[in-house]
Amino acid sequence: MLKELDPILHSQLRLALISILVGVKQAEFSYLKEKTNSTAGNLSVQLQKLKDANYIEMEKSFKNNYPQTMCKITKIGIKAFEDYVKDIQIYLKPKKK
Amino acid sequence: MKITLQTDMNENLSPEKSFETISAMINTAKNKLADDGFLFIFWGWLVCFSSLFHYVFIKLDIQGGEYVWTLMPLGGIFSAVYAIKQNKRESVKTYVDDYLKYLWIAFGISLIIALLNMPTIGVKDTYFFFMILYGFATMVSGGILNFKPLIIGSIFAFICALASSYFGNAEQLLWIALSLICSYIIPGHMLRSQYKTEINA
Repeated sequence: MLKELDPILHSQLRLALISILVGVKQAEFSYLKEKTNSTAGNLSVQLQKLKDANYIEMEKSFKNNYPQTMCKITKIGIKAFEDYVKDIQIYLKPKKK
Repeated sequence: MKITLQTDMNENLSPEKSFETISAMINTAKNKLADDGFLFIFWGWLVCFSSLFHYVFIKLDIQGGEYVWTLMPLGGIFSAVYAIKQNKRESVKTYVDDYLKYLWIAFGISLIIALLNMPTIGVKDTYFFFMILYGFATMVSGGILNFKPLIIGSIFAFICALASSYFGNAEQLLWIALSLICSYIIPGHMLRSQYKTEINA
């Protein structure tokens, strides 16, 4: 029986965000917005969901008097991503006849 | 690879689409050139000019040529300020940025220790060690950045270090200048040009 995919990551925008964050040390909100081509509102919602699942950490500060949100993947997030990749590999394996 | 992301919460994401999303996003920052080459150019020209200035003063038998090296601490302060500003400007921090940061901190500490020990180990060995350090740091940087001109330049710095040991103290200054042209100035300008091309792409 095929395993159910992690519902937190099984959403294209959240999966894209985790995929970006797994390859960098940390990224600003503006960088994630540019790379995923998403709207600020939707991005905030999806980032918050990842944060609620403890997959990412968010740090708010100011840069040139403008608010800045820095995002960083957590160990839990890395593990969840690795598990998700393993799970989709099972789905992608060619079925035996 | 450009993909259009679906943001609908009830989207039906197939494993193929998941795989495509991961492949497209995971390397977004991988190709980002982590160095704009400015500090290579800055230090290359500064130390090259200082070496030549000192050499000319020695050859013309003019006292005080060594005072040109007082520019180095000023250069150090300027570099630190530049690096901090650059770091603040970046919207993404990669592990490559970290590797480079620690490499150049280690390089700076090694250089300072060698300078402090100059009265004990002598001018000739200190200059020799500097060229080894230039070669070492630029080769590692070139490897981290996957930028061949820095790796090739570093080999020239090692050759200069080796060749310089057959010459006197004054001539070693010329070898230092040459090693910097090969390992800092030329690759630095090439790195900057590539960085600008990538930024404007």
